[in-house]
Amino acid sequence: MIWSLPIGWAAFSAACASSLVATARFLFPNVLFEPPQAFKAGFPGEYNVGEVDTRWKDAFSVWIVRQPEGFYALIAVCTHLGCSPNWLAAEAKFKCPCHGSGFYASGINFEGPAPRPLERARIVLADDGQILVDKSTKFQFEKGEWTNPEAFLKI
Amino acid sequence: MVDALKGAINFLTAPEIFITLASVLFFLSMRYKAFWAPKVALALGILGAIFLAVSMLDHNFALIVKKPDNVPIVAMLFLVGFFVWLSMHQAHQNDERIARGEPPNEASNGENEKTWVWPDLVYTELLCMIIGMIVLVVWGLAFHAPIEEAANPARTPNPSKAPWYFLGLQEMLVYYDPWLAGVVFPSLIIVGLMAIPYIDMNPKGNGYYTFKERKVEITIFMFGFLIQWVLLVILGTFLRGPNWNFFGPYEYWDLHKLLALNNVNLSEYVWVKALGVGLPKNMFVREIPGILATLVYVVVLPGLLARTWLKKYFEKLGPWRYAVFVMLLLLQIALPIKMMLRWLFDLKYIVALPEIFFNI
Amino acid sequence: MATNATKPPEPFLTRTWDYITDTQIWKSIFRHGMPSTSRNRVLVVMTNVFLHLHPVKIRKSGVRLKFTWCMGGLTFFLFLVETFTGLLLMFYYRPTVAYAYMDIIDLAEQVPLGIMREIHRWGAHAMVITVWLHMFRVFMTGSYKPPREFNWNVGVILLVLTLLLSFTGYLLPWDQLAIWAITVGSNMARATPLLGYEGPGAQLLALGDVKMVHAGSDARFALLGGRFVGEGALLRFYVLHCVGIPLIAGILMAVHFWRVRKDGGISGPV
Repeated sequence: MIWSLPIGWAAFSAACASSLVATARFLFPNVLFEPPQAFKAGFPGEYNVGEVDTRWKDAFSVWIVRQPEGFYALIAVCTHLGCSPNWLAAEAKFKCPCHGSGFYASGINFEGPAPRPLERARIVLADDGQILVDKSTKFQFEKGEWTNPEAFLKI
Repeated sequence: MVDALKGAINFLTAPEIFITLASVLFFLSMRYKAFWAPKVALALGILGAIFLAVSMLDHNFALIVKKPDNVPIVAMLFLVGFFVWLSMHQAHQNDERIARGEPPNEASNGENEKTWVWPDLVYTELLCMIIGMIVLVVWGLAFHAPIEEAANPARTPNPSKAPWYFLGLQEMLVYYDPWLAGVVFPSLIIVGLMAIPYIDMNPKGNGYYTFKERKVEITIFMFGFLIQWVLLVILGTFLRGPNWNFFGPYEYWDLHKLLALNNVNLSEYVWVKALGVGLPKNMFVREIPGILATLVYVVVLPGLLARTWLKKYFEKLGPWRYAVFVMLLLLQIALPIKMMLRWLFDLKYIVALPEIFFNI
Repeated sequence: MATNATKPPEPFLTRTWDYITDTQIWKSIFRHGMPSTSRNRVLVVMTNVFLHLHPVKIRKSGVRLKFTWCMGGLTFFLFLVETFTGLLLMFYYRPTVAYAYMDIIDLAEQVPLGIMREIHRWGAHAMVITVWLHMFRVFMTGSYKPPREFNWNVGVILLVLTLLLSFTGYLLPWDQLAIWAITVGSNMARATPLLGYEGPGAQLLALGDVKMVHAGSDARFALLGGRFVGEGALLRFYVLHCVGIPLIAGILMAVHFWRVRKDGGISGPV
């Protein structure tokens, strides 16, 4: 009998805690209806060497950069607070309008508050020869992931 | 002549000069009560109105001030100015009365007595409500609520600003990483405000305006309110332009204004520039200077202050209250310190551990 | 008898007034006469649920505008204005990405007396200002000191709720101003220590290789209902703005006002 009170309160607390967890879990749905993260970005011949291509930025928030050896895809989301930077061709840098972070064409941050470089997306050739960019796989420089074969499309 | 004046004002509003000047002015006004004489206040108010009116002739200035969302900020500045004066003026009046041995205004001439809520209070309230409603309707007729282009998740407007009352936070985000400036500091502001009644052990000044009896409390609070909140709102609204660069109030918002913002971490200053060796491989060894500096600031400094400058408070508040008080105070000052370090030395991070998302 | 005869007849308005106040309906609502006598001034406050917020008598210094600035009262008034105009706006506004923006445009152009949104928005700005000034006044008069410490705390929470109300409302027009302010604001949640996937310590919360805290399970996701500011975020902010936060604020306001009374009424020197 001496234990009835502690047991009762323990059970009550456990029930409260578990319903709290269940309520929190309610905030995270199992299925998300968000736009597709992968898209086909045309044939490699459509890009000029040495240029940062902005044609997919409005639709998919991705820049495709063509270098002599191949392609990489930069995700146009500032690593500071998620604004989308602009490519300033004259100054050869990405500049974020929210807090002034600046990035080189490679994606490396060099000014402003951004704590780390821009992220790169998976970029491969699809079966039909088009470039396939998949934003659901991201490569971060500071984790050494840019050397991953899918972070850079060799031509 | 006009251009020279504009140039001078543009120069003075460079952030490091602007904030320094404003802080100096603030502490002077706390020190000398002549600042709060009605004549001085009236003169300052009129001067402010003239400055605003004349400046509206400038195209670049008018462009920013006339934005519908910025109108409340201008109104707010005058209101805050007026009410700060009103409170300080009454405080100094009461201080003089108390010095003469009289009770404060709020306790003399029968003010201690009670009066009827109906009609005395309810009619005052009704009048305030009516005036408030009239102001709102006129305001609503005069200015359309802003609506911009439809949302486009891929195109960030330049500059992109938070609602005006959060511009202080947005400014803070330039100097500290989001986990500090966006989460820890705002929480501490709330906790700090809530802690005030439990830290402030001064029994005087309850229920009447006074300055002399609570100099330190009022100075700390007003510094936070006026310099670290209102001034940062001004900075964010009127001086931050495209690419989040600083612009003088009369300066054209040039999208391509080039400013070198090449910020350097403390570790680089110490290892590369001072010692002339490369950055150590191990991230914790690399950041030892910054970690030490931070530990000195939050651990050693409170103890040191308890023996020196703040000895009086340590004895009065006891160890626990003192610890909370001094931590909040140090963290409050951490913002201006980092801002100055950034502006004067281009310092980026004191501790930079991007590998584990831990930067200070 | 003679005096009665010489008295002139009452004016028409007085007679009408007397007639109205003598009806059973009037008497059933108001249990006292005009508040011109002490007794009736007590009754008018005591028998009215709204006026009952106030005490019957109050210290003279507490009525002076010079002392109170009426900022707390104005804040409450603005809250009521926001509730009323907000309710009207809800008739025309649908919180979905497809409709939200056009509904706001229509509100200004197709609805008679189209300044409801103006009043709602400027009222929100004004409310932030009056809350600040109220807090400033309370600080400057030392009114947070014992016995009012707890009520100061309730007030601080109400200040935060006011800012949150304003912030959640900012997203609803679904224009460029809205989504970018909220994008920046909500990205801070991403950096919450432990709970945000880019916050310090989040990497420690992992079962082997499986991260517990990632973009789909962190504090920001709970706020937005998605990985970026989209349909889910609009709905969540709408619900918080119209129901969630006002409800909490309303309850806390009741506590706030109640405690003003219970902690000794408006502050004044002893």
